[in-house]
Amino acid sequence: MQIGGAVYNLAIPNTFLSLTNRSVRPAQIVRGVAHLCCVLLVLAVAAGAADWSVPEQQLARKIVAVTGVGAVALTVENRSSLGQRESEVIQNGLRSALEGVGIRFVKTENVGARVLISLSENPASYVWVAEIRRGEGEAAVVMVSAPRPEGSTVPNESVPLSLHKIPLWAQEDAILDVAVLEENVTPTRIAVLGAESVTLYQLQAGKWQPEQVLSIVHARPWPRDLRGRVIAARDHLLDVYLPGVICRSAGGTPLALNCRETDDPWPLVPAGLSGGVVSNFPSAGSSSFSNGAAIPAVGAFYSAERNFFTGVLTPGLGKFTTVSKFYSAAFLPREKYTLWLFAATDGRVHLIDGVSDQAIGVNWGSDVASLKTFCGAGRQVLAASSDQGDGDSVRAYEFPDRDPVAVSAAVDFAGPISALWTEAKADTAVAVARNRGTGSYEAFRLAIGCSQ
Amino acid sequence: MRLFDWRLVVVSSVSIFAGVVCSGMLAAAPAETRPQYGGTLRVAMRAAPASLDPAFSDPAEGDSAFSYSANGTPADSFARRSLTWLIFDTLVTIGGNGRVQPALATSWQAAPGNQSGNQHWQFRIRRAVKFHDGTPLSAEIAAASLRFANPAWNVTVTADADSVVIERSTIEPATSDSDLLAELALPRNAIVKRNGDSAPSGTGGFHVVDWKPAKTLTLAADENSWRGRPFLDTIEIEMGKSFREQMTALELGRVDLVEIAPEQTHRLAQEGRRVTSSNPMELLALLFARDAASPDEKLLREALALSIERGSIRSVLLQGAGEPAASLLPNWMSGYEFVFPTGADLPRARQARDLVHTIPMWTLGYESSDPIAHLLAERVALNAKDAGLALQPSSAATADLRLVRIPLASTDPWITLSKVAATADQPAGKESGSVEGLYTSERAMLATRRMIPLFHLPVSYAASATLNNWSLRPDGSWTLADAWLGSGKHD
Repeated sequence: MQIGGAVYNLAIPNTFLSLTNRSVRPAQIVRGVAHLCCVLLVLAVAAGAADWSVPEQQLARKIVAVTGVGAVALTVENRSSLGQRESEVIQNGLRSALEGVGIRFVKTENVGARVLISLSENPASYVWVAEIRRGEGEAAVVMVSAPRPEGSTVPNESVPLSLHKIPLWAQEDAILDVAVLEENVTPTRIAVLGAESVTLYQLQAGKWQPEQVLSIVHARPWPRDLRGRVIAARDHLLDVYLPGVICRSAGGTPLALNCRETDDPWPLVPAGLSGGVVSNFPSAGSSSFSNGAAIPAVGAFYSAERNFFTGVLTPGLGKFTTVSKFYSAAFLPREKYTLWLFAATDGRVHLIDGVSDQAIGVNWGSDVASLKTFCGAGRQVLAASSDQGDGDSVRAYEFPDRDPVAVSAAVDFAGPISALWTEAKADTAVAVARNRGTGSYEAFRLAIGCSQ
Repeated sequence: MRLFDWRLVVVSSVSIFAGVVCSGMLAAAPAETRPQYGGTLRVAMRAAPASLDPAFSDPAEGDSAFSYSANGTPADSFARRSLTWLIFDTLVTIGGNGRVQPALATSWQAAPGNQSGNQHWQFRIRRAVKFHDGTPLSAEIAAASLRFANPAWNVTVTADADSVVIERSTIEPATSDSDLLAELALPRNAIVKRNGDSAPSGTGGFHVVDWKPAKTLTLAADENSWRGRPFLDTIEIEMGKSFREQMTALELGRVDLVEIAPEQTHRLAQEGRRVTSSNPMELLALLFARDAASPDEKLLREALALSIERGSIRSVLLQGAGEPAASLLPNWMSGYEFVFPTGADLPRARQARDLVHTIPMWTLGYESSDPIAHLLAERVALNAKDAGLALQPSSAATADLRLVRIPLASTDPWITLSKVAATADQPAGKESGSVEGLYTSERAMLATRRMIPLFHLPVSYAASATLNNWSLRPDGSWTLADAWLGSGKHD
C-alpha cells in the first residue's frame, strides 16, 4: 500500500517567455494565450467534475429506510472544506437522489420527519450525516463517507507585469530543479530532478508523457534541505549536481546516468555565458545572448553534508579564492570586472568585485539568480524574499552601482521557495516552491518582460 | 475656549506616520532563509519520564492529570511521543492527510500462506539503516522490538531475513489492514534495540548523549541519519517543569520551546508570543471507577452529563480554548461529533434525577498537580448540585469518578476509540470499518455512561523567536527533525 507520488501534467505554453524573444510574432503570443486559457479551462472543468452520485444515493437510501416514503422537511448544512459551489452541487444531487427514492420536500416543519444533512469531513474522507427527527424524540442518525477526489491543483497563474512566472511542472514529490532540454516556443522536453532520480518528460499531442526515469545512485544519505541542479549539456543530454555526487548522462537507448561520489565544484556561471565549458563537464552550448565577452566559468564547492556552498571558488575572483559560506550566487558583468553577489549563510548579501568584499543590508532570502535579458540594463538579479503572507516572492533588481533597485513587481508563490537557479541560456530562471495549500512542489520558469 | 490648532494635528500626523513607517521598517520580518545547521535547542516539559523506552510502562510519569495504564498499556503523553520521535522510528508513519507512509519499512503486503484465518502482514525492512550504536537495522531486531511491545502478536522473520511478518488474531478489537498500519505507526511500536540496562538505541535523527531519568536529557544529531542529519547539533531537555516554570524560562531566554496550558494560549498569543496549537488531541472527561451497577445509577450519570454547562466552563475556566465535547472523538477526526449535543439541559437532568429515590454522594477525584483541575471539578460539582446531585471534589487517590485527561492515541479514529475504551476498561466494539460503524461503536460506549466527555483540548506550545521550522505532528507531539535556529544561535 505504498503511496505513490501522484503527478499531474500541465502543457502550459511558454507564453510569457516569448516576450523576451524578439523573434516571436504577436500571433504566436495570441495563440499561446488561447492555448493556455483552453488548458486552464479544461483543468478547471475536470477539477470540478467530481462524481458524488454514489454517496448521494447511499445516503438517500439510508434516509428513506428511516423516514419511509413521503414528505420531509430537508435542511442541508456544509460543515466541511467543500466550497459553496461544490456543496450546492451535492445538495442538488442529494435532493434528486431523495426524490428518486420517493421522498417529497415540504417547507413546513409540521410533517412526519425533519431531516438535517450535514456535509462534514474527517482526515480520510467526507462524512455526510443525516439527523432525522420525528417529533421531540431523539434523532436517528445515518451517515455515509465519500472519498476525497484526487487533488488536481491548477497552479496559480501569475499576473504578468515585468517578471513572469510560467508553470513548468508540479508533483507531490520534491523537485530540486527542472531543465528544459528542448523547446519550440514552449518547452517540449524537460528533465525533472528529484531526490532519487531524474525523470524525462516529452510533450506529445499537447500532453506531457514520461519518457524515462534515470536513477541516481548515492551511497550516503542526503542532507536535509536537499538541493541539486540538472543542467542541459551540449555533447550529452544533461549533468546532475547533488551534494557529494555528480552524474552525467550516457548516450544510447535507453539513456543511463553515471554517478560518482565527488566533491568537484558546481558551476556558478551558466554555460551560455561562459563559452560552454563549466567545471568538469562540458555543458550546453553558447546562447544567443553570449554577445558580450564570455564570463569566466567559476565553480564553487558544495558541502556534501549541508545545504550550502563552502565558499571555496575555482578559479578565484581576483584576490578572493574563498568567500563566506553561501547559499546562492549571482553576478553582474561590468565594463572591467564582474560584480558577484553571494547570499551568505549569515543572512547577508556580500558584493565581491575581486578587490573588496562588501556586505549590503538587504532583506533578501537565501536564493538569488542572474538573468541576461534585452530589457532595462540588460542584467538583472532575481532575489527571493519572505513576505508576511503564506508564501515567498521573487523580484528583479538591477544594480546601477552597489545598491539594488527593484525593477519589477514581486511575483508571489504559494509557499516557500526551495530552489532558484539560472537556466543554461541565462535569460530565464527556474524557481521551485512548495505550495502550502496542496503540499505539492511547483516549478516555474521566471522570465523578464520588457514592458509593464 | 481654545481654537483648534491644525498645525498640531499636522505635526502629530506626520510624527505618527513617520513612527509607523520607522517601526514598520524596524519590525520588518527577516527574509526567509534556508535552514541553518548548528546550535543547541533547549526544551522544557512537564513530564518526567523514567525511561526512554517507547514501550516502557510507568503510569506515574505522565504530564496528564490522570495518566492511564489500563491493560498494560504504556502511559501515554505528548511529551513521551515527542521524545520517542526524536530518537526512534516506526515501520510506517501516518501523514497529516491520514495516509500511511513508509519509514523503516519500505513496503508491505499481505503475507502468503495465511491458513489460520489470522492477519499476516509482511514488511520489508529498509536497508542501510544503522542504530545509534552502529548496529545495522535487521528484520530480527525489528521483530524482537515489536514482540516486546506487543506480547500478543506473533512476529517472525522471513527466510531471506529481509522482512518482518506480523500475525494478529482476528478476534482482537482492531483488525482491519488500516488498523494494523495505524497501530504500527504509534510511538509505542517504534523499533528499538534494547541494550540491557543502558539507554535503548534507535534510528532517529538524534542519539542520546546524556540521560538523567526524569530530570534532563541531552541529544545530539546523528551524522549518519538515514533521513539526513538534522539541522540542530544538540537538544537539551529539562523535565518535570511546571507550566509556570517553563514560561518563566522562556521569558528569560533560558529555553526555546515550552509547553503551555490550553487556557493560556489566548492570552499569550495576544501578548505576541509564538504560540502553536494542535488539533484537539486530548479528551477531558469524567471517568467513573466502575460500570453503573443499576439502572438508577445509570440515570444519575445521565443526569450528571446533562447538567454540565460546557459552554460557560469553556469561556471562563478554559479561556475559550478547546471544544465542548459530548463524544469521545473530536469532530476533525470522526466528522460527526456535532450529532452529540453538548449543551446543558437542566430540566431533563432533573427529570432523570427525580426518577431515582436515593441520591448517593459521589467523590469527584482530580489531580492536584493539574493547575486547572480543581476549578473544573468544583464547577462540575456546582452544576451537579443544580440538578439535585451530590458531588464532593477530592484530590484523594481513590474516588467514585475522576476528572481525567486522555491523550488521544492516534489520528486514526478506530485506534483512538479502542485506546479510549481501554482507558475505561471497556471493550471497543467493532461494528464495521465504515464511518457509521465507528459512530455505532462510539455511541454504544457512551451509552454505558462509564465516561462523560467534557472537552476536546488542543496541545499548545510556545517557542522563542530564534526557533524556525519546528512543527506539530498530527498526534500533538512536536517534531524537531527539520527545525533550525536563527542567527546568533548557531555555531
